[in-house]
Amino acid sequence: MVSAFGIALFGFVLATALATALLRDILAVIVVFAAYSLGMALFYAFLLAPDVAMTEAAIGAGVTTLLLLLTIATTVRDDVGIAIERPNLPALVVFGGLLVVMIGTVTQFPALGSRNAPVWSNPEVTQYYLEHSYKDTKVHNAVTAVLAGYRGFDTFGEAVVVFAAGISTLAVLGREVFTRE
Amino acid sequence: MPAGAGTAPVAFISAELVTDVFLGAATAFILLAVAMFYRVVKGPSTQDRVLAVNVLGTNTVVVLALLAAALGEPSLLDIALVYALLNFLMAVAISKFTVERGGVL
Repeated sequence: MVSAFGIALFGFVLATALATALLRDILAVIVVFAAYSLGMALFYAFLLAPDVAMTEAAIGAGVTTLLLLLTIATTVRDDVGIAIERPNLPALVVFGGLLVVMIGTVTQFPALGSRNAPVWSNPEVTQYYLEHSYKDTKVHNAVTAVLAGYRGFDTFGEAVVVFAAGISTLAVLGREVFTRE
Repeated sequence: MPAGAGTAPVAFISAELVTDVFLGAATAFILLAVAMFYRVVKGPSTQDRVLAVNVLGTNTVVVLALLAAALGEPSLLDIALVYALLNFLMAVAISKFTVERGGVL
């Protein structure tokens, strides 16, 4: 039953990704891309990565659509009659090459829990965090504990950089974008 | 699973069955989402597409809640809440875009 859900979700994400790549109308692509983001968030949740799914929810459903809309509001939308884009042959070749490389990489991954995985090349460090992270930070998820606890100042610095970038973007734009010329 | 004090719980419904039923329901909702996605791709006007994606967003909230019940992960309910809160954003943004551009896109 788990695999049936996974297959159905995979089909949905594949359909949304293909539609995003092939549709010609930019506004339609933005809407379809939001649907793709919904599917990916479901995938993250299904694979038990709730923090990533939460980020996808905030970024995909909120910020990305707004940014893309703001972008096409300041540019021109060319109105071509065709609905479906004709695939570009060089792009297809690049895509095929990337696909081969990624499938090759995924098949070479060490098995889940394998003792030969690179993470076990330094067992003392791994074991230390697995054993102490809950006691030190009271966070159940060890990855979250490292990200927000042990290297909290680093994550805080990243957040400051993103915030500064957002503020400077606002300063550069400087005006309401959704205005009639 | 709450059982009556002192009495052994009668296991008509096993935990595996509950998981299977919830996951099956989630799968059915995903299939419905695929059907709704046809309208997103086909929809002649942008309004059709936005409305269809709004339905997909609501669908996602339901699937997340079903997954939370099936996998026993209550934290997925938080993501469902975030989606329910953010679902209206795109509709509002595209409506504003349409109005400011003047006329129906």
